[in-house]
Amino acid sequence: MFWENVKLALGAMKSNKMRTILSLLGIVIGVASVVAILTLGASVNASIKGSISAGGLELVTIYPTGTSKYASTFNEAFAETLKGEVSAIQEVMPVNSHNALIRNGQNSTNGNISGVQSSFAQVLGYEVEQGSFFSMEDNISKHQVVALGSELAKELFPEGDAVGKYVSIFRNQAKSYLVVAVMESKDASLNLSYNYGAYIPYNTYTSRFMSVSSVGSYIAKIKSDQDPIAASKAITSYLDDLIGSDNYSLFSPATLSEMADQITGTFSTFLAAIAAISLLVGGIGIMNIMLVSVTERTREIGVRKAIGASPSIIMGQFITEAVVLTFVGGVIGITLGTLISYLVTSAMGWGMSISVSSYLLSAGFSMAIGLFFGWYPARKASRLDPIDALNYE
Amino acid sequence: MAISVISLRDVRRYYIVGDFIVRALDGVSVDIGKGDFTAIMGPSGSGKSTMMNLIGCLDTPTSGKVFIDGEDTAGLEEDDLAFLRSRKIGFVFQQFNLLGRISALENVMTPLLYAGVGPRERRLRAKDALERVGLKDRMMHRPNELSGGQKQRVAIARAIVNNPSILLADEPTGALDTKTGEQIMELFSDLNKEGRTVVLVTHNVEIGMACQQQIRIRDGKVEA
Ligand SMILES: Nc1ncnc2c1ncn2[C@@H]1O[C@H](COP(=O)(O)OP(=O)(O)OP(=O)(O)O)[C@@H](O)[C@H]1O
Ligand SMILES: [Mg+2]
Repeated sequence: MFWENVKLALGAMKSNKMRTILSLLGIVIGVASVVAILTLGASVNASIKGSISAGGLELVTIYPTGTSKYASTFNEAFAETLKGEVSAIQEVMPVNSHNALIRNGQNSTNGNISGVQSSFAQVLGYEVEQGSFFSMEDNISKHQVVALGSELAKELFPEGDAVGKYVSIFRNQAKSYLVVAVMESKDASLNLSYNYGAYIPYNTYTSRFMSVSSVGSYIAKIKSDQDPIAASKAITSYLDDLIGSDNYSLFSPATLSEMADQITGTFSTFLAAIAAISLLVGGIGIMNIMLVSVTERTREIGVRKAIGASPSIIMGQFITEAVVLTFVGGVIGITLGTLISYLVTSAMGWGMSISVSSYLLSAGFSMAIGLFFGWYPARKASRLDPIDALNYE
Repeated sequence: MAISVISLRDVRRYYIVGDFIVRALDGVSVDIGKGDFTAIMGPSGSGKSTMMNLIGCLDTPTSGKVFIDGEDTAGLEEDDLAFLRSRKIGFVFQQFNLLGRISALENVMTPLLYAGVGPRERRLRAKDALERVGLKDRMMHRPNELSGGQKQRVAIARAIVNNPSILLADEPTGALDTKTGEQIMELFSDLNKEGRTVVLVTHNVEIGMACQQQIRIRDGKVEA
């Protein structure tokens, strides 16, 4: 019976194409806008999260911001303390950096000189292209060695072959550093920029480049089996207790990413809800066309009853017709909405995130609208008196 | 006396139109036996169609009782009446009343769908019925591609496809020319000879007299 009803419904739709299209317009537009909004929302979210998490969600950066009062707390040894206090942390690295002029013969440029530990590259997954990153021994012995970011290396050594050569780094006076490595290019993330960096051993930095005892920032890497958001919270609560929230700031891509989720989620749900109102309007259009259809086919209904159709069979026929109508509208709307999303995302250069839930949601919702708004006309059809219906002119 | 397939007991059907009561049927009692070929005759407005609709369970009487195969139809719900129509009664109308958007075959299959017959058997039985009325080669035509006589044959096939015991026809030749009408009457006569109870309404005295028995009504009452 169901497939016969679907066939009848398609037949009825085909016999009056123009009217079918017009009556579907509301549903099509409603579904298309819901799908487009949800898909675009998901795409924007993915694009934002992509840039937030580019450096790795597992990295948390802590910046001491307080006055001198707590400056002594944030020393090199604090990295180990922090690691010991928060069990989810795999590694904490102190980092100091400052801009300085770097020169190789005629070529000079400004670079971001960072004093880092020998594990820096490996912990961050920052690959060496040529040579090898400096060693723990270089750090302990305060050797004047440097690993160059890819862009920096290009500017200083346009012909390549930087490894083994010397560059001068200016800070009050020029000092000569042996280039031990050229790093591979790595995309900058919100908290770390790599390619214009020059990386020197931490101890070399504090004793020979710039005399500082405090640490500029700590990069904490969260264990891969731990939730980075929970870990950030653990770090925050430890630091709040220790020195108060005013004296440091913490940057956690995972936490930001969660915030982005919430914001884009709320926003697109809100917009989709507005678009869903147009689906309701579409539903009223369906009800209207179904009422017309029932009136037009009064005689047909009488004949069907005369040859044995019960009221529930007639009801089923017209409900099915309404649901098929809205389903077709839903499918067209989904296609249209996806197309719009595709055009917008490719124009904006975002990756398109297909939102399957939006498809299911709008297909289901439009069919529910068919059920809801088809119910009254179908019931009206099912209750027609057979004789009156047969004699209807 | 043989058991009546159709039995009306003091059946009244009144319509209220404004301040008037129209007594379309006013105390009718008739019995029609199994295998009878009955003509209902009478002037226009006398209540023939009203009576047919009551026999066919499309309508319910204001008072009185209608028995089909001995079953009192008074207490039946709409669904039960539909079920009864589906199993026991075949209708043929003056205006054919075929479903326009589907083929002759699908028209004939529809009552079987409502009777819960599976798709394969529906097709087979509908083909048989169409063959029975001599329309084997027009099965895939839509009603608007058929002549009046052919349409009425499709309607008859649709009425007999579920093998009902009662075949009701309200002026089945009314929209046809004389010759085609005669052919249709021959078909009814054949179907009656196969054992079906046939009741038809006609204005045509010749056709009426050719039937086995006649019921004459005037002003909602059976004439003696
Ligand atoms: N729905 C209705 N409302 C009011 N009066 C009705 C209704 N249906 C039928 N009647 C009246 O009942 C009477 C009998 O009608 P019916 O249709 O049974 O006549 P008939 O014998 O079939 O006539 P005809 O030969 O013209 O078909 C008529 O006077 C008619 O006007
Ligand atoms: Mg009549």
